[in-house]
Amino acid sequence: MTEHVTEKDVRDIAEYCRIGLADSEIPQMTADLNAIIDELAPITEYDLTGVEPTFHPIGDLSNVMREDVEGQSFTQEEALSNAPAQQDGSFLIPSILGGGEA
Amino acid sequence: MEFGTMDIAAIRSGLAAKEFSAREVAEQSLARIDAVDGTVNAFLEVTPEAALAKADEVDAAIAAGAFDELGPLAGVPVAFKDNMNLAGTHTACASHMLENYVSPYTATCVQRAIDAGALPLGKLNMDEFAFGSTTESSAFGTTKNPWDTSRVPGGSSGGSAAAVAAGMATVTLGSDTGGSIRQPGSFCGVVAVKPTYGVVSRYGVVAFGSSLDQVGPFARSVHDAALALNAISGRDERDCTSQDVTIDFTRGLDAGVSGMKIGIVPEFMDAAGLTSEVKHAIEGAAEKLREMGAEIVEVELPHVRAAISAYYVIAPCEAFSNLSRFDSVRYGFCDPGHKSLAGQYEASRAKGFGPEARRRIMLGSYLLSAGVYDKYYYPAQQVRTLITQDYERAYETVDCILAPVAPQTAFAFGQISDPATMYATDLYTISINIAGNGGMSVPVGLGEDSQMPVGAQLIAPAFHDMNMLRVAAALEEAYGTARVAPDFADVKAGA
Repeated sequence: MTEHVTEKDVRDIAEYCRIGLADSEIPQMTADLNAIIDELAPITEYDLTGVEPTFHPIGDLSNVMREDVEGQSFTQEEALSNAPAQQDGSFLIPSILGGGEA
Repeated sequence: MEFGTMDIAAIRSGLAAKEFSAREVAEQSLARIDAVDGTVNAFLEVTPEAALAKADEVDAAIAAGAFDELGPLAGVPVAFKDNMNLAGTHTACASHMLENYVSPYTATCVQRAIDAGALPLGKLNMDEFAFGSTTESSAFGTTKNPWDTSRVPGGSSGGSAAAVAAGMATVTLGSDTGGSIRQPGSFCGVVAVKPTYGVVSRYGVVAFGSSLDQVGPFARSVHDAALALNAISGRDERDCTSQDVTIDFTRGLDAGVSGMKIGIVPEFMDAAGLTSEVKHAIEGAAEKLREMGAEIVEVELPHVRAAISAYYVIAPCEAFSNLSRFDSVRYGFCDPGHKSLAGQYEASRAKGFGPEARRRIMLGSYLLSAGVYDKYYYPAQQVRTLITQDYERAYETVDCILAPVAPQTAFAFGQISDPATMYATDLYTISINIAGNGGMSVPVGLGEDSQMPVGAQLIAPAFHDMNMLRVAAALEEAYGTARVAPDFADVKAGA
């Protein structure tokens, strides 16, 4: 198996994805990702010179515009109904300025 | 009467003749779920109030002499995959991340089914966030295959397939990103349709791979699946990829296959890993179609070999993007007590997502990173062009393609645990999502070795889903309508 990603890479990716992996989970995740990336090799083996990419199966997608008229949407109460924490009609989060965990 | 084991036409004629009421259909269907689902575990949530309320509405319309105004799913017991929002129900995607989430709104496909008269029975088990092919990654326990409860039902829409196979619903809805409707349909011996991308609105269906996801029905007959498609398809202003298809999917279903050209793909039939029993079943289906007057033609799909790798680039990248919305702030699992927002994010997402979800998010993040993007992501989208062109070229000579759905029939729990090996089982279904075509599974008997159901896959050009439904109806004629799994066929529940 080729080492596409190191354990250090995996720690960096986890941080970027905001997934707090425990130290004990890093080796297995590294092995899993390397095994999967190995399987992606066929993608790199074609001569794709001059081939246009298809990012979406419906090629001629365009923005859909509508008249700017008021429609039905969530009430504040509905929008907050699934919030893990709320206060005074807002989502409640830990302080983002100072005093945080390192 | 066991309404969940009846087809739509039988329910409709019984209601019209006042042999039974929609309320009886709902009550009996709920009783059957009580009796059967302890063994199968297809349902994550049962919604008796919603089913009974809708039944009373249908009965009131019948009493008022308005039966003809009722939609095509009037009084039909229907259930939905757990990634589809239905206001007031939990929409958990079988994940701890959304365990306590209660939908404040309803997905378009669900709303259209209910507007067409469907009795909503509840929400169905799946692989977590639809990442999987066995339903084993559900955070709430796996679903059992009704044909043999020691085997997987397939996935990710395992609950949708098993509920129909065990006669707990007449129609269910699932979603298919790389085979998640067709493969469980094959494993559980039911009709399972992934329409062309754009036929059904994805609004309100929790997104996995936005350029690949498509909603479709499970049923025990091709006709029922077509009726369900009629109810849920068409343009939705809330999903800009939904197309203005005004197709009656039941039209021409019984026209037969005489004069049709049906393709067989040597790359598929000769692939390593294809079990002999599935190969024989598909060859048998081709022979039956030939006997019924179809011309069987070999077609080449030279780039299809790259489909799995293209998929496992594109899908995780889109999943990485889609799953970034789970922030532990607006909704979803939150690990409490953190002093920083970053700490809360990291702990909540680590504990809320299961192992496969975390793997795919990490993989997608890596593949979209600078330098790596040019090596995998951009070429994957170029390969998508080549695969799409392969299919377009094939459709110049054939109306429909016949292929396996999966290399094997349903396997035992835990039999495949390595992610890369599991991904390889998606060979036959994935390229259809890449190209956006329609594909479906229709039962063609039992495998000679495993004695488990085998599905034949029929693949049709984009927005010509009628082609595959017509061939499927011919195969159904030859093999018989899909049965309720034997162990559940004689279970009686309720009144």
